[in-house]
Order: sequence, then C-alpha cells, then structure tokens
Amino acid sequence: MSEIRTELADAARKALSHGQAGDGLARDEAAALPGEMGWLMAHVPEDRGGLGLGHEGLAAIAKELGRALVPGPVVAQVGVIAALSHADAFDGRDALLEAAMGGEVMTTSLAVAPTGAMVTCVPDADRASHVLVLRPDRVALVARDAPGVTVIERPTWDRTRRLFDVVVPHDAPAKVLAEGTAAQALDATARSTMLFALAADALGGAEAALAMTVDYLKTRRQFDRPLAMFQALKHRVADLQCAIAAADALLWQRAGDADATLLAMGALKAHACGVYRMVTEEMIQLHGGIGLTAEYACHLFLKRALLNAALLGDGDHWDQLSGRALLEGTRA
Amino acid sequence: MPEPYDHLDTLRQTLRAWLAANAPADWRETCTSHDGFLALQRKWFTTLIEGGWAIPHWPAQGPHGAWPGGGRGLAEQKVIYEELARADTPRLILTFVSTYHAACTLFEWATPEQQAKYLPGILAGEIWCQGFSEPGAGSDLASLRTRAELRGDHYVVNGQKLWSTMGQFADKCLLLVRTSSEGAKQAGLTYLLLDMKAKGVTARPIHQIHGDEEFAELFLDDVHVPVADRLGAEGQGWAVAQSTLSSERGLTLLELSARMRGSLWRLVELVGGDEPGVLRDLGRLATRIDAAQALADQFLAKRIAGEEAVGDASLVKLMYARTLREFTSMGLRLGGIGQQYHEPIVFGGGMETGNWMADFMNSYAWTIAGGSDEVQRNIIAERMLEMPREPKSWVGA
Repeated sequence: MSEIRTELADAARKALSHGQAGDGLARDEAAALPGEMGWLMAHVPEDRGGLGLGHEGLAAIAKELGRALVPGPVVAQVGVIAALSHADAFDGRDALLEAAMGGEVMTTSLAVAPTGAMVTCVPDADRASHVLVLRPDRVALVARDAPGVTVIERPTWDRTRRLFDVVVPHDAPAKVLAEGTAAQALDATARSTMLFALAADALGGAEAALAMTVDYLKTRRQFDRPLAMFQALKHRVADLQCAIAAADALLWQRAGDADATLLAMGALKAHACGVYRMVTEEMIQLHGGIGLTAEYACHLFLKRALLNAALLGDGDHWDQLSGRALLEGTRA
Repeated sequence: MPEPYDHLDTLRQTLRAWLAANAPADWRETCTSHDGFLALQRKWFTTLIEGGWAIPHWPAQGPHGAWPGGGRGLAEQKVIYEELARADTPRLILTFVSTYHAACTLFEWATPEQQAKYLPGILAGEIWCQGFSEPGAGSDLASLRTRAELRGDHYVVNGQKLWSTMGQFADKCLLLVRTSSEGAKQAGLTYLLLDMKAKGVTARPIHQIHGDEEFAELFLDDVHVPVADRLGAEGQGWAVAQSTLSSERGLTLLELSARMRGSLWRLVELVGGDEPGVLRDLGRLATRIDAAQALADQFLAKRIAGEEAVGDASLVKLMYARTLREFTSMGLRLGGIGQQYHEPIVFGGGMETGNWMADFMNSYAWTIAGGSDEVQRNIIAERMLEMPREPKSWVGA
C-alpha cells in the first residue's frame, strides 16, 4: 500500500508543481485538478466505481493539496462522496456519485454542527450543483438551484478557500440518503472522512511551511552567519519537526485503522491542526519582517492553518469529547 | 525481516496466555525497599528466562547450544514488548544493561573466549552497569578523562564515572577509558570489561530528587584490568561504544510509550467532576500519547524495513520525553495538594506509578539521560534538516 501512497503523492506533487495558489496557479485551474486527475475517487471502494485506496489514498492526496495550498472544496466534496458511496442505493445514486468523483462540485457544511435552516461554512457553494445537508437524523442532497435555496458568500481571511452560508428551506426538494439511525451512521462516515482529509491537509501544509522556514533560515544572513546556525532557532525548528513527525505517524496509523471512530478522527484532526497552527505561527516569527509582508506566502499558510483549526469542530471541542470519553470508558 | 501476520499473532496469543499464568500480581507492593525490588527483579528475570522471553534479541545459537528464546526478529521482539507492557509486568531494570548493552556489544566485538567467559553469567542473572559518563563528560561524552595505562598484561585505571545505572548492585562494568590524549578525542578511547569486585573500585549510589537510587557513581583508584578483558583494539573504544549505545534498537521507547498509554487510567481516576478545562487537557494529552506511540511504532516498522533515516531515533526520544513530562505534570495537577504530602516511592515501579510528585521528577530522567532533549534537537536540526553547525572553536575565559 505504501508504494501506491508514494506514487499518488508524487503524481499529485508533479501536477501541482506549477506553483502555489498564492503565486500564480489560477484558482479555477487548481480547483479543477482533483476531478480531472481522479483524486476524488481514490478513497471510494472499487465496487462503487472508485480506486479502492481507502484513507491511505485520501491522505496521500489531501497532504499534497495542503502542501500546495490548493483552493477548492475537496474536503467537503470527499465528505459528499463518502456519503453517496456508503448510502443505500437510491434512484440516480450512481450517476450522482460518478459526477461527484469526476469533479462536478458537490459540497457540504464544514461547521461543527447544523443550525436551523442556515447551513454554514459551505465551501464553493456558488458553483456547486448540490449541497449535502448533514444532520444526525437526516442526510439529504439538495440541488443548488432548488426553489428557495440561496447562497451568501462569507469572505474569509484564508484566501485559498471560499466559504458560503446556504439557506435551505425545510420544504426544499431533496434526495434523502438516510434517516434515523442510518442517518447517524452516514453522518458519522461523512464527517470522519472530512475530518481525516482536513488533518492530512494540515500536515501537508505544516511540512511545506516548515521546509520553507528552514530554507529561509539557511539563506538569510545576519551577524555574519546564516540564521540557521543559531542554536536558539535550531531547537525551535527541531521541536516543530518532532511535532509534525508524530502527528504524521498518527495520521497514517488512523488511515490504516478500519475501526477508527468519529471521535478518533476528530481527535486526530484537532491534534494535526494544532501542530499546523504552531508551525505557521513560528513560520511568521522565524521569517522576521518579511513574514509580515503579503507578497511572501507565510500568511497564506497561517490563515489556512487557522481556518482548518476552526472547521468541523476546533481543538477544544474534540479534546473535551476525548476527555469525556476517557472518563466514561468509551474511548478506544 | 517482516514476519507473516499469522505467525506474529500466534506468538502474541502464546505469550498472552503465558503471562496470564506467570506475570507477578500486585508486584509494586513488594517494591517498597531495595531488597524487595532486587528480589522481585531477580525472580522475574529467572521466570522470563525459563519461559524463553527474556532475550529474544540474542542469536538463536550460542557456542554451547541454543540461547533460550533467542533468535527472534525485530517484529517478534516488538510483539513481546507490547505484551509485557500490556500485562503491566515489571520492567527488567536490573538486568537491562547486561542483556542489551553488554550482550549486544559482546556479540559484536568480543573474541570467542570473551563470549564464553561473559555470556553465560549474563544468562544466570549477573548484573552489568555502564561506565561511560563522567562529571566532566556528559553530552560531550568523547571528552572523558578516566585514564588507563598499559603496564605489561594489564591496564591501570584511574578516574571517576557517573550515572552508572544500577552500578551499586553490579557485578561487571562496560568501561570506556582514555588511553591516549593524542589526535581526535574519540581516537584515544579504549573499551574495557571491568570486574566490579576488583581492588580499587568503589560504587556509591546517587540519591535522586524523587527518592530512588537507580544510578551510581564509580570511583576507580589504581584498578587493574587484564588486557584480555579489552573489547576491540586499543583506540577503538568509540566504535565499540556505538554498539553499546545502539543496542536496544528502539524497543525501549516503544515499550515505554505503550506503558504510558496503558497508564492513562491513573489520570482518569483523579478527575473529580467534569470541568471542561480538565476534560480538554486530558483529551489533548491522550491524543498526544497516541501520537507518541504511533511515532515509536512507525520508527520500529521503518527499522524492520531498513528504511530508518538519520535523526528518526531522536524524534522518537524527544517526543516520548516531552509527552512523559506532560503526562506526569497532569497527574501532579489533578492530584493537587495531596501530591505534596510525601509518600514513599515504589522502587523500579516504572515511569508512571501514581506517586505523581515522584513520577514528575523522575520524568527528567528521559529529558536528560541518553542524550538530552537539547542534544536530540541538535541532531534533528543539523543531521536531519541539514542546518549548519556552529563554529567549533571557542576561546573563552
């Protein structure tokens, strides 16, 4: 499996090597890549028309998207795809799944929990064909052009993402994927997948941010020597490398764990995003003045890291649930 | 070499069943004194030897027949350590240096005569210690100054050694000495096998801040060591010492990570209410422990596959050490004022005994010993991330 993982990652890195979102790669071009390259079908089982590479395949790709700050709704879209591929068959399911895997934008909320008729934190809703409304008692797919569905852009500090609020009236026509306990399971499947993808995006970004920082420290000279020679800075960088390595090991362990619960994925996401945040905060500080300028990419990583940390439940949310599960003896 | 899954699974089940019948119960209660600790450690070592679980990392065959339970691959050793941790058995602290550091160094460097002289004793429970560090040579080990002068068929050794684990109970010592002051400091080192009963050897236990005495300082005053007890050639000591330092192959940190994870209940039982701040910190710590364990696990998998990279071992140690500090610190916090009332420690009870003040102070052993956090950070930065070294020379007052 690890060979496929490496091949996927290499291919993705090559395809994305034109540049980063912040410095040239056109937003639409980059956002279209995952569909064109077949990355959106990597984690889908083969009997559903996917590549059957599971979470390992998803991690390999999502890490590269994070590394290159790729725009677009991939995290939300893999959640929709997971829901479609795990839902019981319904009229038109396979066609929808195929379209979604091919890159037709289908999106969903990356908020921690649903609230009323307003679906918040929905990436790229303006160009989506469908919005998946995830609730623990009902999972339903709503057409973007259904009567009464309205999208409102909410500009974010993170320039590599676009988020929308979507008004979905209760009586809007919808394809119901699951209800009752089945909906709870499907909701958890979709959320687990998205949390995992966010964690991978965070660690790809963290690796890139640290590599850029180390390169900068090696290049920048003050006091007649490269900054990288100062032990005070080396030790900070080493701590970041250590944190990334451990979080990455946890990512691959959870990728291979078929029994990983929603909580396990939430805890992973919280941990990975904590690391990403720490790395990008240090990235700005270690770049000094240039880290404060908009023409350098540091701020893009910091902003993406902070948005990742806030989406789908922040560290406090998941850590508290982990702590409670420990107390109740229900944590794996 | 990777082992087929079903074979490892069989091994795991076999050992699990054996442990159910043989692992000592409530053993910490007997370790309230040094005597109790020594008795338990000796008995458990003998039981493990008889069961064939004490020396899985040894070769299958010795010069006079099979070593009991030897010849197991790294993947099998990993299973064994995971199960020993899972069953919360005592760690073999007393014989750890003899079965790992001494034995592995002997396998690599000893003559057949030396192997025949020393290995059976190790199997019989002889205790070895390591005489490497000195008052003036800690992180900068190669600057050590204990002198050995060749006089006919023996060396005469003078100097002082520090941080010799279990040195006060040891029968033998792996001794690194200076035989020359010429050239590079590493080139003047020689490796000797010292009989702790030799004339002129004094071992004094070091009183640690948490109340244990796991280390000794050794005073060597005109001690005679036969040339026949030298490992490798004169001046080859640094190379021999590298075998000693790399002998445990990452298994210890895997085992310790598993033990830390298995000890989470000790924190959980201290949580009184459901104060969100406490739950969050506990949950965050639990995930961090998962990450530390995943890293140790991945490291060993890389080693088994021959894919270990420079600095990987430092990442594992640094992550474990920092996480253990947080773990014990959390115990201290949750234990409140109760932890400030002195309780006697459990000797050899492990890194997390629930006596949090002692455990917290003991956690410094992992951030300082075996290459301090600062040394590990240098290795990661300079060898892994290829950041330039600082200029070597310093002319100070």
